[in-house]
Amino acid sequence: MKNVKIYRYLAYSLEILLLFILGSTPSLLPAIYGATPCLLISVAITIAVFESEVVAMIFGLVCGVLTDIGFSNSIGTFTIALTIVCFVIGFGANNFITITFTNMLLGTVVIVSAVLSLHFLISYVLKGYDNGAVYFVNHYISRIVQTIITTALLYFVNKFVYTTLNE
Amino acid sequence: MKEFLKSRSMKIFMITIFVVIVLAVFTNSIENNFVSSTINGVTYPLSKVSAAATNDDDRSIDEIKAENEKLKKENADLRSQLVNYYDVLTENSRLWKFYDLKKENPQYSLVPCTVLRRDSNDDFYSFTIDKGTTSDISVNDPVVSENGLVGWVSEVDLSTCKVVTVLSPQTSVGAIDNRTSDTGIVSGSAKYCDDNLTTMSKLSADHKVKKGDIITSTGISGLYPKGLIIGEVVDICYDTYNTSYYAVIKPYDNIKEITELAIITDYTGQGEVLINEKSGKKK
Repeated sequence: MKNVKIYRYLAYSLEILLLFILGSTPSLLPAIYGATPCLLISVAITIAVFESEVVAMIFGLVCGVLTDIGFSNSIGTFTIALTIVCFVIGFGANNFITITFTNMLLGTVVIVSAVLSLHFLISYVLKGYDNGAVYFVNHYISRIVQTIITTALLYFVNKFVYTTLNE
Repeated sequence: MKEFLKSRSMKIFMITIFVVIVLAVFTNSIENNFVSSTINGVTYPLSKVSAAATNDDDRSIDEIKAENEKLKKENADLRSQLVNYYDVLTENSRLWKFYDLKKENPQYSLVPCTVLRRDSNDDFYSFTIDKGTTSDISVNDPVVSENGLVGWVSEVDLSTCKVVTVLSPQTSVGAIDNRTSDTGIVSGSAKYCDDNLTTMSKLSADHKVKKGDIITSTGISGLYPKGLIIGEVVDICYDTYNTSYYAVIKPYDNIKEITELAIITDYTGQGEVLINEKSGKKK
């Protein structure tokens, strides 16, 4: 029983590692409308909907750290945001909400928009750069949409992992 | 709900958040800290392998196989002569790119490097390169290609460093038009970065800058050496908000895709103004 859980966590870890490499390798993912999806946000959300709050939080933390070190050599917005968000999702999914694809997608729209908008606010608006609206329209909207789409796809991958490697 | 707030999960959550916030403050306030060095150290080999793999992405499998066979043969022949032949060869080919730059500017100390990863969350095309403090890299060192300035080192740890490009608004380089001697500040803009363009703002009202002029660094700040090529003027615009003219500059490299670079770790006049400002003797 315990082994199954370990294999499942191992599968998640490999998935995170793979997506980290995929997302950070130069010129590998084509930029659509000036942006590529945040794959680690997608994977953190889709793991969180199936796991308990503490496990969800740990995977959220790992994804956040990896996302942050890609952006700067320090821990920041994504680590804190994904740690909190994944804990809340994990708790909600286990106690209040029945997870269906539609529920997950609606939640994803809200969460991804909120997390990436927060990142835009901290990394762009608060630094006082010009043309904030242009930047948001040209890059962030595309990134938000792409991240939502990848979350939808990864939901099925992680659902498969969860159902296959579940006691 | 009350039970949940007192539960073990909630305690773990609160402790984790506290630790994360402490680490966030720590890593943001101390350069080259052990946390970012450790994380980068762990991810470095993965990024190195994946970056190397994508450098040859435009070749077919047959071409790679043929090259592989050829290299195997060459390797067998040369192994007896030189054990680390391929390392030396790679380093040599990198250095050749910067040979002219070094010849024209013998005072430059150049460290060749390659792009390790590009950040998908930064739209100003910043990237991480495979050299750190162990190669004498420090924050604010200029990063160049054989065609001119690419950016500057914003963060550095033991084995990697983060480069902010000239396409970013974070960049601020004192620049001069070589033909007219008009001066300005080169800084990126969200409006132009997608087209691999940057801007030279703060031009005077009676400037004589024209399309095709070459823009170089002034070297006044002590952060960038004098005469480093930044790019070519492709347009002159008027900023109604700042009521001033600015030139749109096209760097000679495609900064969005560049992979082979060099860092200028030392040059004559580096940091002079900063040092003098600190000691109250402004030049």
